[in-house]
Amino acid sequence: MVELAIGIILGCCALGAGMAMIAGIGPGIGEGTAVASACEAIGRQPECRSTVTTTMLMGCAVAETTGLYALVIAILLIFVAPGRFVNILLENISNLG
Amino acid sequence: MTKIDDTVRRETVYIAVWVLILSAIMQAVFLVAGKWDLSVLIGNILAAICAVLNFLLMGITVQKAVEKEQKDAAQMMKFSQTSRIFMQFAFAAVGVLFFNPIASLLPLFFPRIAITFRPFLGKKDEKKAEE
Repeated sequence: MVELAIGIILGCCALGAGMAMIAGIGPGIGEGTAVASACEAIGRQPECRSTVTTTMLMGCAVAETTGLYALVIAILLIFVAPGRFVNILLENISNLG
Repeated sequence: MTKIDDTVRRETVYIAVWVLILSAIMQAVFLVAGKWDLSVLIGNILAAICAVLNFLLMGITVQKAVEKEQKDAAQMMKFSQTSRIFMQFAFAAVGVLFFNPIASLLPLFFPRIAITFRPFLGKKDEKKAEE
């Protein structure tokens, strides 16, 4: 029974990490769209290249933060959470016994 | 070897300076809290390098992408973002497994904090960018 509980914990953590990384798709699409629009803008006004690049760089970095949140959650779910959850489970079992 | 654009270089230096300042503050907080050890310092250094490298690679990709067609630029950016996420995962996984997890993850968000403070720093940077 304990093995089953541990298996469920590990499975749920892996599933959660995978689901969290779905959020990593968004920034890629967003950055792609932003850069495509910047290409158009620079094509129209080449003299604004520096300003457009700076604004776009900052925008891309902000957009990427969403993906970073997902990445951090996924890393915590893979490497940190399983150990903690299993410890909590084992402590509760030993307290009941 | 690609020559790094002046705009990209300037922004990367700005981000690197902020990452350095915020890392020093984080080390001080760990020290005051009595939780400082070598794993905090190494984890912080690893994550700070990853954060600055990520920004630099993004800048280089943007610099290359703006010279291409719209479709190619979008594709290039998507590919770059995926590759950089893998790189960050590798850095963060090493940090979490072998060093302090908080010190290895928190610096990844420092560039975002630096960008948040950017408008408050006055018009000096804006004038430089316009030049």
